[in-house]
Amino acid sequence: MKAFAYVNPSNESDALAALRSGGIVRPLGGGQDLLARLKDYLDEPDRLVSVKGALNREAAATGDGGLRIGAAMRLFEVAEHPEILKRYPALAEAASTVGSPQIRHQGTVGGNLNQRPRCWYFRQEEFVCFKKGGNRCFAADGENQYHSIFGNDGPSKIVHPSSLAVPLVAYGARFRLASASGEREVAAADYFTLPSMQTVQKENVLADDELLTHVILPAPGNVRSGHYEVRFKESRDWPMAFATVVLAMNGPSIDSARVVLGAVAPVPWRAEDAERVLRGRLLDDAAADVAGEAAVRGAKPLAQNAYKIRITRTAVKRAVLAAAGRSV
Amino acid sequence: MIVEVEVNGKRHRRDLEPRLLLSDFLRQDLQLTGTHVGCEHGVCGACTVLFDGEPARSCLMLAVQADGHKVGTVEGLAVVNALSPLQAAFREAHALQCGFCTPGFLMTLTAFLRDTPNPGPLEIREALSGNLCRCTGYQHIVEAVSRACGHPRP
Amino acid sequence: MQQPTPQPTPQPTENATKYAWTVPPDRTRVIGTSVPRVDGPDKVSGRAKYTYDIARPGMLHARAVRSPHPHARIVSIDFSAAKAAPGVRGVLTWKDPGTEVMYQGDVVAAVAADTEPQARDAARLVRVEYEVLPFFSSEAAAMQPDAPVVFPNGNTQAGQTQETGDLAAGFAAAAHTLEATYSTHVITHVCLESHCSVCEWNGDQLTAWVSTQGVHASKQQIAGALKIDQANVRVICQYMGGGFGSKVTADAPIIIPARMSKDLGAPVKMVLDRKEEHLDSGNRPSAFARVRAGVSADGMLTAFDGVTWGTGGAGQGANFPLPYIYQFPNRRRAHTNVYINTGLQRPMRAPGHPQGCFVTEMLLDELADLVGLDPLELRLKNLPPTAPDAMWAEYYRMGAKQFGWDRRHPTGDRNPGPIKTGMGVSANQWGGGGRAGAAHVRIQPDGSVLVQCGSQDLGTGTRTLLPVIAGETLGAPLDAIRAEIGDSNLPFAGVSGGSTATPGIAPAIRIASGRARDALFARVASALDAAPEELAAGDGRIFVKAAPERSLAWRAACKLLGQEPITADGQWEPGFSSVNTSGVQFAEVTVDTETGIVKVTRILAIQDCGLVLDRLLAESQVYGGVIGSLNFALFEDRTLDPRTGVMLNPNMEHYLLAGMTDVPQIDVVLMDMPERGVIGIGEPPTVSTASAIANAVRNALGVPIRSLPLHPHRVLAAIDAHTNSGGGPA
Repeated sequence: MKAFAYVNPSNESDALAALRSGGIVRPLGGGQDLLARLKDYLDEPDRLVSVKGALNREAAATGDGGLRIGAAMRLFEVAEHPEILKRYPALAEAASTVGSPQIRHQGTVGGNLNQRPRCWYFRQEEFVCFKKGGNRCFAADGENQYHSIFGNDGPSKIVHPSSLAVPLVAYGARFRLASASGEREVAAADYFTLPSMQTVQKENVLADDELLTHVILPAPGNVRSGHYEVRFKESRDWPMAFATVVLAMNGPSIDSARVVLGAVAPVPWRAEDAERVLRGRLLDDAAADVAGEAAVRGAKPLAQNAYKIRITRTAVKRAVLAAAGRSV
Repeated sequence: MIVEVEVNGKRHRRDLEPRLLLSDFLRQDLQLTGTHVGCEHGVCGACTVLFDGEPARSCLMLAVQADGHKVGTVEGLAVVNALSPLQAAFREAHALQCGFCTPGFLMTLTAFLRDTPNPGPLEIREALSGNLCRCTGYQHIVEAVSRACGHPRP
Repeated sequence: MQQPTPQPTPQPTENATKYAWTVPPDRTRVIGTSVPRVDGPDKVSGRAKYTYDIARPGMLHARAVRSPHPHARIVSIDFSAAKAAPGVRGVLTWKDPGTEVMYQGDVVAAVAADTEPQARDAARLVRVEYEVLPFFSSEAAAMQPDAPVVFPNGNTQAGQTQETGDLAAGFAAAAHTLEATYSTHVITHVCLESHCSVCEWNGDQLTAWVSTQGVHASKQQIAGALKIDQANVRVICQYMGGGFGSKVTADAPIIIPARMSKDLGAPVKMVLDRKEEHLDSGNRPSAFARVRAGVSADGMLTAFDGVTWGTGGAGQGANFPLPYIYQFPNRRRAHTNVYINTGLQRPMRAPGHPQGCFVTEMLLDELADLVGLDPLELRLKNLPPTAPDAMWAEYYRMGAKQFGWDRRHPTGDRNPGPIKTGMGVSANQWGGGGRAGAAHVRIQPDGSVLVQCGSQDLGTGTRTLLPVIAGETLGAPLDAIRAEIGDSNLPFAGVSGGSTATPGIAPAIRIASGRARDALFARVASALDAAPEELAAGDGRIFVKAAPERSLAWRAACKLLGQEPITADGQWEPGFSSVNTSGVQFAEVTVDTETGIVKVTRILAIQDCGLVLDRLLAESQVYGGVIGSLNFALFEDRTLDPRTGVMLNPNMEHYLLAGMTDVPQIDVVLMDMPERGVIGIGEPPTVSTASAIANAVRNALGVPIRSLPLHPHRVLAAIDAHTNSGGGPA
C-alpha cells in the first residue's frame, strides 16, 4: 500500500476536523475493509483518521423507546447486546453472521455500513470501472453471477455488501451524520444511493468530510421480524441473497410489513410488492409463499444470475417463516 | 510516529511508519515470527493475535493502531517452555500438518475457551469458522480442543 | 548388568537378521502405532522457522514486476523511476524487450530494496511498455478453427489415439449406450505459506532457504539455472507451509533473489503475495471428456470411446488417466492438450487422477441407471480382479455395510420438501512407490542417536518417520533419537511428491538403522556373554533373545562404545517399500433445491497404504485429501474474465475454501497390509471424494451435473434444465 499519514483523534470534533485536513482523507474504523483496499491499491489516501476511539460505541435507549447505537460499536457487541437481541433480533442475527469471529471483534457498525462493494471486478486493480473513474462496468457483460437483479438499470451492477443495512432499513432506522459544519439525520432507506453517472463512485450520501456517527432505531412496536441469509459456505462467506422482514402484527394477522432484500441490488432493496401482499394476511405458510413470489416480481437478471431470483424468493419465504417462529 | 505497545506482557516503544502492518511489526521488528500471514485479506485467520484479549487479524491492522494496547501472540502462550494444555492437546491429537495455520487457530481458541470454557463440537467449529487449514484440518483440531477441555473425544 | 528394578521381559522387535533389513517386519513395537509428530512442540509454540520466517543480517527484499496482460510483447522496460525510489538497491531484467509474456502474472523484471514495502513501491514504478497480443481465456476459444496463432507450435497439440479391443463389437454388444460430456475445472494449490526463498552468498557458495518439496532437486535446479557447481549450492528447508505439488520447481521466486543477492552482495528474500501465488505458482489442469459408452443388459461394460481435452495453461499439457480403474474391454481414447494464456500447471496432489476418476465414476452411475442396477453392483461387476493392490471389491462391500448403503434410495429423492439427500461412491488408485533415498545413522556413546536424511517435510510428517523407523530398528527410546532433514548437505533424497517420499526414504532409514544396530550388537555382545546374532533390541533394551533377562538398557549399552560412535549409511533397496494402493470413498449429501446449496453430511474413506508407519500421520493424510477433494467438488474455482483474461478471484475471498463448518464428519478406515511394505498415501485419498459427492448429488436430485464445481447456480440450472425437459420436478 501507498504510504500515508495517520491521526488518532480522541473525540468526534477532532475527528471531523481531521477529515478536512486536506488531500484524500479516509476514516479508519475496524479497518476490515479499508486495509484490504489499501493493500490492493484500490484506494490511495494521503491520511487515515482513526475513528474507533473518537466515535461512540454504546447502545443507549432513546426517550421515545428506541435505541441509539454508536457507529464504533463492534459487530460482536451488536450480535450479543440484550436489548438488540430482544427488540431488533434481525439486526443481531445479521451482525452475528458477518465475516468470522475475528472480523466481528474488530469490525464496527459504521464500517459495515460504509464498506465498499465486494464486486470481483471492483476488487481487482486491473479493472478501472465506473466506480474507479473508468468508463464501463465490467460486470454488465462479464462474470456477473454474483451481481444485481434489481436496481441495475444504472451504470454499476454491484450489490451492496452491508449485512446490517438490510435489517436497519427494515426497522426504519435513521443515521446521524456529522461534519465540522454541523450534523444531519437521514433515513437509512435514503442513505444508500442507486448508481447514476453522477453518483457511481459512491454507494451513499455521506460526504468525504462527514462521519456516520450513530444509528437510531425507532421503538419497534408490536412487530415480529425474521431474517434469512442464503449462504453457500457456512464459514466466512458472503450471502448470495438475504432478506429481513419486519411485520407489524394485529393479533394473528399482519397489519403492515417491511420486506428488505440484501445482496441483490446496489442498495438494500425494498420489496414493496411483497410488503403489499402481506398486508392484512394471516402469518402462515401461504403468506411466506406469496411474499416470496411477490418479492422477485420485476427482477431483471443479468446474463448469469437468473438463479438469484429463486434464491431471493427462498430467502424471503424463509424470513417470513422465521418471523412466524418456524424453521425451514 | 512513536508507538508504545505491550506484546506478550513486554512493553515496546518504537518509531514506526504508519503503513506498517501489525503483522509485519510483530514478525520483523520484534522477530515474533510465529504469527503468519496466509491470505493478506483477513480470510484465512493465520495471522490472528489477541488485541486487548480479543481475536483480531494482525494483517488487517496497522501497527500504529496498537498504540497503547496489548497484543498477545502464539509465543506468549507457553509458560516457561511448558506447552499450555491447548498447545499440548494440538500436538497429541495431531491437530496440524504443516503447522503454518496453527498459531492462528491457537490464538482464536485462547480467547474462545476463556469465554466458553466447556464448548460442544458445534460451538468449536463455529468459533473456528474464520480459520482455514489447507492440509488436514478440522477433525483433529476439534478433537484437540475437546481434549484440552478435558473431554477425551468430541 | 544390574537392573535397579524388575522390568517386564523385553520382547524382540522382530525376527530380522542382519540380512533382513529389506523385508517388512513381521512384528513391530513402534511402527504402526500413533506416534505424535516430533515437530509438534515447535509448531504449536511459534518456534518453527519457515522459510517465510527467515531473516538474515542486511537482508534485502525483492519484488517482481509482472505482466498485467495475458499475452503481450515487451517493447521496453524503464527502471529510472524505480531506481530513484527510496531504499532501492538494484533491479533485474527477467525477460528482455522483444520477448513475450504469455499470461497475467508472467514475470518481466524485479527490484530489490531495503524493506518489502519499498520494494513494492519501486516495482510499481518500473515502466514496462507492452504491445498487447491476442490471447485465449478459455479452452473453447483456443480450439476454434479460425483462432489466431497464439502459441507458435500450435494452440493445441493432439496426442496419439489409444485403442484396445474391438470398439464396434463392443458397442454392438451394448444393450444401452450413453453419450455425454463431462468436465472438471482449474483450481490452484493455495499453499498457506506462499512460494518464497532467501538467498545468501559467501564467496562462490550459495545458501538458499527455500520453501521447497525437494532440497536436493532445488539445489540441482538452482545450480543449473545459475551455471554453477552443485557442490557450491546448499538448500535448506526446515519447515514449510504446504506444497501440494507446486513447490517442485526452482523458478523466478528462487532464481531472482539468488541472482540479485550475488549482484548486490547482500542476502535477498522474495515472498510471493497471495495474488502472485494464484497466478504463477501452478494449478490443476482442466479436463473435458466427450464420452460414448456401452453397457450390456446384465451390467457389463462393453465399450468406451472418449475424446478428451484440457488445459495446463500457456504451454503445459493436461492429460489424465481414462477410463479410470473399471474395465472396458473395448476402448478408444484421443486426447488433445489445449493452451490458453494462464499460469502453467504443476503437479497437484494425484495429478490427473481426480479428473479421470470424476469422468468415469459419473459415467458409471448413469450407466447403472440405464441397466437398472445399483451403482455399487455395476462397479463390482466391472472391477479388475482382486489383488493385494486392487482391493476395491472388498472395500466397497465393507464400506457399504459401514456407511449404510442399503438405505440409499434409487436415483432422485422422492421425499417431499426442498431438502433432498443422496449417496455416492467412488474408487481410487495410485502408484506411490519411491526409490530415491539415502540415510545416515549415528549412535553416540551417550546413547543419543542422530538420523539424517536429505528429505523434507512439507507438512505430512516426514520428520517424524525418522525416529519411528530408527526407534523400531534400534530398539532405542524415541526421545533419544534426533532427526535431521531439510538440508541438501544431508544424504540425498528425492522430492516429496507423488507419494514417493516415504517409500523412498523409509528403506534407507531402515537399512542404515539396521546396519548401525548390527554394529552395536557386535560391539556389546561380549558384555552379555553372547554372540551378536543372539541379540535383539526393543523397548529401550538390548537383550539375549533366548534369555531376555540378560539385557542392557539402551544407554548403558551405548556407553560400552567408549569414545567411538557407530555410524552407518543406507540407501534405498527394494523390499521394505512397495507400490500401488487402492481405496474407496462414500459420500452423503443434502441438496437444498430452493437454493442449490450442496452440503456434505458424511464421508467414509477406506484406504490402504501397505505398512503403516505412523497411524496418526497416515490418517491425517486421508483427512486432508478428503477435504481437498471436497473443496474441488464444491468450492474452489479459478475464474477468469473472458474478455480480458484477467483472474477475478486471485485471493481467498472469492476463491472459496471450506472452513470448519463446511466439513462433515469424516470416518477413515486404514487397511493394514504390513507384508506389502511402505507405500505412500499422500495422493490417493484426494482422488475420489469429489466424484463420490457429485454422484451423491445426482442421487439426491435425479439430475446429473456433469461438470464441477457444484456451485449453487449450476445446481439450480441443472434442476431447471431437467424440469424443462419434462423430467418432472427434481
